[in-house]
Amino acid sequence: MPPSANAAAHPTASAQPLLELRGVSKTFPGVRALDDVSMQIFPGEVHMLLGENGAGKSSLIKVLYGAYSADSGEIVCEGRPVEIREPADARRLGIAVIFQEFSLVPFLDIAQNIYLGREPRRALTRLVDRARMHADAREKLAALELDYDTRTLASDLGIAQQQMVEIAKALSQDARILVMDEPTASISDREADALFRVIGRLRAAGVAIVYISHRMKEVFALGDRITVLRDGRRVASMGARETTPDALIGMMVGRTVGTVYERQRFPAVGDVALEVRRLTTGTGVKGVDLVVRSGEIVGLSGLVGAGRTEVARAVFGADPVTGGEVRIFGEHVRGGPERAARHGVGLIPENRKQEGLALLRSVRDNLLAASLWRLFPSGWFRAPVARRKAKEMIDALRIATPDADRRVRMLSGGNQQKIVIGKWLAAGCRLFIFDEPTRGIDVGAKSEVFALMEALMEKGAAVLLISSELTEIVHVCDRAYVMREGRIAGELPRDELSEQKILRLAMHGESKAEPA
Amino acid sequence: MSRAPGAVVRRQRPLPSIVAITALFAVAASLAVPGFTTGPNLTNVGQQTAILLMLSMPMTLVIMSEGLDLSAGALLSLCGVVLAKLLVAGSGLPLALLASVAVGFAFGIFNGVLVSVLTLPPFVVTLGTLGIAQGAALVVTDGNAVTGIGPAAASFYALAPLAIPISLVIALAMWAITHVLLYHTRFGNGVFAIGGNRDALVLAGAPAHRYHIGVYAIMGAVVGITALLLVGRMNSGHPTVAIGMEFDAIAAVVLGGTAFERGDGRLYGTVFGVATIGIVRNALNLLGIESSMQVVSIGVLVLLVILLDSWRKEKGRAAP
Repeated sequence: MPPSANAAAHPTASAQPLLELRGVSKTFPGVRALDDVSMQIFPGEVHMLLGENGAGKSSLIKVLYGAYSADSGEIVCEGRPVEIREPADARRLGIAVIFQEFSLVPFLDIAQNIYLGREPRRALTRLVDRARMHADAREKLAALELDYDTRTLASDLGIAQQQMVEIAKALSQDARILVMDEPTASISDREADALFRVIGRLRAAGVAIVYISHRMKEVFALGDRITVLRDGRRVASMGARETTPDALIGMMVGRTVGTVYERQRFPAVGDVALEVRRLTTGTGVKGVDLVVRSGEIVGLSGLVGAGRTEVARAVFGADPVTGGEVRIFGEHVRGGPERAARHGVGLIPENRKQEGLALLRSVRDNLLAASLWRLFPSGWFRAPVARRKAKEMIDALRIATPDADRRVRMLSGGNQQKIVIGKWLAAGCRLFIFDEPTRGIDVGAKSEVFALMEALMEKGAAVLLISSELTEIVHVCDRAYVMREGRIAGELPRDELSEQKILRLAMHGESKAEPA
Repeated sequence: MSRAPGAVVRRQRPLPSIVAITALFAVAASLAVPGFTTGPNLTNVGQQTAILLMLSMPMTLVIMSEGLDLSAGALLSLCGVVLAKLLVAGSGLPLALLASVAVGFAFGIFNGVLVSVLTLPPFVVTLGTLGIAQGAALVVTDGNAVTGIGPAAASFYALAPLAIPISLVIALAMWAITHVLLYHTRFGNGVFAIGGNRDALVLAGAPAHRYHIGVYAIMGAVVGITALLLVGRMNSGHPTVAIGMEFDAIAAVVLGGTAFERGDGRLYGTVFGVATIGIVRNALNLLGIESSMQVVSIGVLVLLVILLDSWRKEKGRAAP
């Protein structure tokens, strides 16, 4: 339980919490998303929720609005235990959520989107009262200082405008508990200021606000109290005045992700394998510079949405490059994934089941998928060659499969990951981009993936490792780049690699935003 | 302009291409096809397209919900046969119509539950019900036409209040009802949401399954009503008469600019699509071109209009 001294800092400390979580847990196969989380939310407070990627913030929100139901623990609303099984239950309790993934319907207009499922109806005919709906919508938007024509279709709105409509939608529910998931991530300062003024008014009116943010400035400008999550557990709750950004970062890092892999060898670094200059894409990468040399594992870190995967996809040719250039082994590469693969780049994608494997095909088919053009230059498939090559890869990577004909779907996550790596190895790649390679695989398989990464590197391959697990970056990489909002926020050499430094760069750039 | 910086001004949506195409075809037909503009022929066009208009209205809802109903034609045959059989058995027209609507509604609910609750692909589901409905129609009739149904259906079909054929009156009423449903009810917004972002509807606490099943149920029930027009026109029931009518209905919706994704559609576009198909078929008839060639030309037309629409969309995106 939170020490009551913390609550004393709060103006309504004597009041009953509006909403209370008591020992809430939620487990998915292999993942403890929430582990005995307790939290009190008081009327008229802005409660900041902080945590690294995967700390359990999203799961907590989903439990609050009924997308997940908790395995154990209870939710208490104004002293009464309540059940939130579906979104409609949350709505009845007066809980509204501003989603980060937009919940707008493209071919409905702004007013229809704001009132979806709650459209005001005329008493007699039960038809939607459009005049009132638009008038109400205009009023909600005016409160946010927005001058939007409410007849505009959502499909005609930009990202920031969609976010503002999303906010208006949540506000229109006259919620008592308003949950905001990084509401300012995609809007301008002017719009954010308008939002903050609304938050001020809501707080004065006794609304409880749960606010997730990665911006330290907001955390301290808005927050009354702060709760930090790590590994699905609550680390601490405290008044905003009782802590500092560095103290918070200290609480967020230090995840326990099983046995941490320890890098064994650091061979001499070779030639430049990948050189990215002022890389810019339509997917949100803004002028990224980075270099990876042979015999080196370079980390690319940052929070989810910072643009790491987008860099990987652009280097691989999966997304078009709109500015800057990509040089692979000194050659300027343009065009699609096929071109990049022939230059020796292999991408081990974040989403291996969809982008890395054909789950219903055999181990052999998957292993050879990227090297068919090399093995069979004439275009005719020769089974003995395929069998031999597949066997070679299975042995080299120690893939645990009864035979090469087994469907990939039947194998464990770790073995599937090895097959994705093997696919590029068979194709003769020398630059490997790993995007979250350890997601969803068990601890033993994680070590194997890293051992494999080291083995590749020892043979002179270059590795770019994208990972949200800060410990992985710290323990495995020669050096690391940290991204924030589509840009490189900084580069950390081996002797400066620490979770604190990475997180500090990821959350507020250099150390300029820190108070004295 | 008094708009503040950052204001959002509504963009007028461009008219669907089909509006111009319908006008073009109407002018071309009246100039080039002898006998097209005569009063009796135009009445004929109206009467011939009434059934298509009936089917196309709920089909628009189905396609806007990112769905498809391939079973509509076969179901229409089945409903017609059921209606005719009951008339032969001596039941009154209202009871026969009720039975027809009930059969259509039941099939619609079945389609809807499979699509919405079991989340099976509409293409596969309705392909299955197409087979079931078509087979049932053949079994019930031994593959023969159902004749001797008495004068009730035919004399209803011959009604013409204010000199407008009753089939056209009913079809236009269907348009009006569908318009109100789609644009003035919560259900209508739900249809847009099912196609555009079903999660949003669920998160809003709205009865998404009920709306989704409702779309297919309406389709089925309307097929049941349409069966009366079909039987009245032919003065008999026939187990294979409506084969391919779902093709025309889907074609009309697509011609009208409704997309198969994201819940992007406009009901009046479908009406123009129906009109274009009606004009083309009638003009080709008058020119003595056989029915199979008419199907080919409608297919070609659909592809051309889709190309035109996607080209305009690209251009629209590049412009601002």
